[in-house]
Amino acid sequence: MAPIPVLAPSPALRRMLAERGAGSAARCYQCATCSSVCELAPEAAPFPRRQMLLAQWGLGEQLMGDPALWLCHQCNDCNERCPRDAQPGDVLQILRAAAVEALAFPSFLGRLVGNVRATWPFLVGLPIVFWIVLLAATTGLHVPGVNPELSGLEGPFHYQEFVPHALIYIVYTLTALWVLVAAWVGGRRLWNRLGQHGARHGSFFAKLIPAVLEISTHRRFARCGESSLRRWGHLAVMWGFVGAAVTSGLLIPYLYRDSLFSWLPLPFAHDYPLPLDHPLKWLGNVSAVVLVIGGALLWKSRLGPADRRSGQTTAFDRFFLWTVLAVIATGVLTEALRFLAPPVVACTVYLAHLGIVLTLFVTFPYSKFAHLLYRTLAMVHQLMVDAATQAGVQSKTEEESR
Amino acid sequence: MDKLGVFLCSGCGIGDALDLGAVDKAARERGCKTTLTNPCLCAEEGLQAIRDAVASGSLNGILICACSERAKAQAFDGLKSNEIGLYRVSLREQVIWTHPAGHEDTQALAEDLVRMGLARLEKTKPFKLLEDSIADTVLVVGGGRAGLEAARTASALGHPVIVVEKGDRIGGRLAAQVSILPERPPYDQPQPNPMPGLIAAVEADANVTILTAASIAKITGQPGQFEVCVATASAEQTFRAGAIVQATGARPYDARKLAHLGYGASPDVVTSHELEAMLAAGKVERPSDHSTPNRIVFIQCAGSRDPQHLPYCSSECCSQTLRQVAEVRRIAPAVESAVVYKDMRTPGLLEHFYLGVQASSGVMMTRGEVAKVEANGKLSVHLSSSLLGDQAAIDTDLVVLAVGMVPNSADGVAIRALHDARTRAQTSESEAQRKESAELAEKLADHEGTEILNLEYRQGPDLPTLRYGFPDSHFICFPYETRRTGIYAAGTLRAPMDAVEAAEDGCGAALKAVQCVAAARRGEAVHPRAGERTVPDFALQRCTQCKRCTEECPFGTLNEDQKGTPQFYSLRCRRCGICLGSCPERIVSFPDYSVDMVATMIKAMKVPEDFEEKPRIVAMLCENDAYPALDAAAARRVQLNPWVRVIPVRCLGSFNIVWVAEALSRGIDGVILIGCKYGDDYQCHYMHGSELANTRLGNVGETLQRLALEPERVKVVELSHEEFHRISTVLDEYAAELEEMGPNPLKGF
Repeated sequence: MAPIPVLAPSPALRRMLAERGAGSAARCYQCATCSSVCELAPEAAPFPRRQMLLAQWGLGEQLMGDPALWLCHQCNDCNERCPRDAQPGDVLQILRAAAVEALAFPSFLGRLVGNVRATWPFLVGLPIVFWIVLLAATTGLHVPGVNPELSGLEGPFHYQEFVPHALIYIVYTLTALWVLVAAWVGGRRLWNRLGQHGARHGSFFAKLIPAVLEISTHRRFARCGESSLRRWGHLAVMWGFVGAAVTSGLLIPYLYRDSLFSWLPLPFAHDYPLPLDHPLKWLGNVSAVVLVIGGALLWKSRLGPADRRSGQTTAFDRFFLWTVLAVIATGVLTEALRFLAPPVVACTVYLAHLGIVLTLFVTFPYSKFAHLLYRTLAMVHQLMVDAATQAGVQSKTEEESR
Repeated sequence: MDKLGVFLCSGCGIGDALDLGAVDKAARERGCKTTLTNPCLCAEEGLQAIRDAVASGSLNGILICACSERAKAQAFDGLKSNEIGLYRVSLREQVIWTHPAGHEDTQALAEDLVRMGLARLEKTKPFKLLEDSIADTVLVVGGGRAGLEAARTASALGHPVIVVEKGDRIGGRLAAQVSILPERPPYDQPQPNPMPGLIAAVEADANVTILTAASIAKITGQPGQFEVCVATASAEQTFRAGAIVQATGARPYDARKLAHLGYGASPDVVTSHELEAMLAAGKVERPSDHSTPNRIVFIQCAGSRDPQHLPYCSSECCSQTLRQVAEVRRIAPAVESAVVYKDMRTPGLLEHFYLGVQASSGVMMTRGEVAKVEANGKLSVHLSSSLLGDQAAIDTDLVVLAVGMVPNSADGVAIRALHDARTRAQTSESEAQRKESAELAEKLADHEGTEILNLEYRQGPDLPTLRYGFPDSHFICFPYETRRTGIYAAGTLRAPMDAVEAAEDGCGAALKAVQCVAAARRGEAVHPRAGERTVPDFALQRCTQCKRCTEECPFGTLNEDQKGTPQFYSLRCRRCGICLGSCPERIVSFPDYSVDMVATMIKAMKVPEDFEEKPRIVAMLCENDAYPALDAAAARRVQLNPWVRVIPVRCLGSFNIVWVAEALSRGIDGVILIGCKYGDDYQCHYMHGSELANTRLGNVGETLQRLALEPERVKVVELSHEEFHRISTVLDEYAAELEEMGPNPLKGF
């Protein structure tokens, strides 16, 4: 007989959860109202009842790789109906933050972002200081003047004269490489832990496609009863970022089309900055509008006192939300101020934008941003577990029919 | 009674539905000289008319033919006395509300009921009121939470109280607790123990005498006149008491029987009471090495709700564990407490306490069954089917077993059985019986020396127990009542409960005791026939010493002399009449309720000849449940079978089989007895009344067969009060069964 698993409650984890606002888990008396009202919980492994108990006991090993944490979209249907006001939705939210920290590589960065309540000035300030120092060392922080040769649609000056594109390429490419490494390690850690929660069947990529399709429409989020506002806000922000990323992605081949596509017999007019009527500019601007709308909706859903419906907003959530909002705001302002304000003001905002984007990038594997990766992984995992169950049933019926 | 008056009320539609002139005539035909019809008997004019008629005709029997005896009781009861009998005929409920108006069968029913009422009055005798010297003192046995509250209550009502406590001090188990469960809003924290204050208050009460290290050597007599002999270390003293409150409490379940939970295997497995002693000393430590534990696992329901141990829930252990967890947090905040429960039961407002303790950090709780506690070097609690997984173990430094409570009662019936078996084993003439008795005595040997009250009652020295050793009787409706009149059970002796409930119990039982003393002084019965003033008369010259009455009396009213002749204690009697039903010689009669009386009522019915095809059924309805059910059905205008004639009986246990013979020999087609439910969840006010009736009828079946009558002509039906909707179906079905059997062949003989 296999030895009985010995429970290892962690007082440290329980203390940490309580400090971060998940103390309400203690009130749970395991009636499972939450699991029954949850629209998202899989039938075979309903949440969040069990996770509440594990949180009460501080059983971190079981919790940190639990797919339930990521399958939960924090609709807060459970918060609304919990008879003991144990706020399961909020508890899972805090458990997710704890999981991000536990999965982080290197772990000190996880702790740094995990304790964002104290460290946020550092996280926001350091990238800006970095850019100031970098510019001081390279261009001497040269602020360009108004260029009278440029037409009205092109704008009065080039940001490239303030920050050479080469610097942007170097900084963000290196950052992206680093983030990829860190996210890869964190993702692998989670994937391995998820593996202990159910046998999988099928290939990862075969299930990644339906998962991504599901995410693209937020179909799962739509099943949430209590928070439709958040669903639309989240959908808009997600697609806005996709649009912005596509714009940036297409911009590089566009800028270097002379050298990249020299073998094509095309007439290349030199028009940089892009005029306002250029399709790429359009794509970028539409994305910006969608981002602003989405950001506003998300912001609105978090306004007001933390009632059961919207759940609480922890420092961890606030940091990510404000970073995203700041990226959107400084991005939009950067574009507008080039036309509306003196170059020194526009350049200051641009500098802030570059800094805050760097913050968003670097903290990706350690902040709430990581849910992009972890939730996707959990959804793929769940699809593979479902497939395994189906395969099991099928083979069983085949056996029986034989 | 010989001078009877029939008073017919024509109100409530009775006059419209019935020919009251014909009813009047039927009464006069039975020899009643005074009759009177009034449009509203219950109004002052009606009552005055009755008084005038009684005075002018020197009547000693009044037959009110109006509504049910359960209606307008206050208006009419004032008319009767020990010299003047009064009986009510229910023309409203039993006739016009439940039968078609103006029908000949309805009319026949009304006339029959009046004849039967007159027959009853004819057999009613005047009686003398009981007058005895009655002691005021209330004896409280046990000085715990319930006992002290009982003492305080009785004393406050002006009664001298004597508290007899077995231990060296009063205060009971509660006094040993470091704190108590919250009793005041917001109910989320343990409260300081109030027992020192309560003890001081009771000790300072000049009305209360406290005897510690004392036991009861003997109690003789009856309510109002108990002779109590108390033995203390130094001396024996005797005093009189009017009523007794037994509040001997409960003791923890013996944890030595819980070896699977590690008790005995490790000194670090303790009971909740052993932990309490530690907490009271301000310590949280492992008994093995006096170190502070890192983690304590509390195991709830240790031996409770377990058919192998205590099958019941002790009701307060969950809350007590929460309190102990809170105390552990206070004394040693670093200690982690884990609670494993079957169900967390925190009745009432203690829910807030549960929330309060849950909210404190360092407390973990899960539902689960504890398969075992392993104690080899370190302690490991093995959980099965817990919410944390089917199989899981948790290591711990200290295990606390929340053990349930076992009532400190003595099973009077078993003790008597033991003594009887011992005697028979010595004296019986048959070798087989001596052997059998010796074996029985061996089986009951555990009860040796367990006596608490030492009553000199024929049915045993202590209260009979109901289930699991709790001496409760009327567990459905009447708390504190026991099966010994004037002795009331309170606190954890009566049922598992917490301290608040125990205090309430003490107060309630004391009020009952005080009530009992007052009733004894007036010579009246206590509940359920409260206010009843007649007592049965035993015509002992005809007694055959069969001992059925002394055995069957549910309240131990009768003792026996050397020869086995019953000795009646009027103040113990509850007037149920079970003795009257039990006596084969029919020597037991109340002045207003007797075998002869019911037989005469049966005789008074007119039984139509066979060819008329109008069967007759006698329905004997228990006055406690079935009769009220009939009234409830009538109030809903349920139509009843017209062949049925209802005779209310005090209890089906008072049913004498002679009545069957009387009815069937007169050509009545069947007798149906409707009484309370019996068995484990009995609803009989007198415990076994309906069951006894059923047993007696089992015996009568053979006799009927010898007379060429179907045993099915007599039937017992169990019916509870709220099943009033069934009553018409029960009667109709029975009538149909009788029709199938055909008419009684003895008709017309």
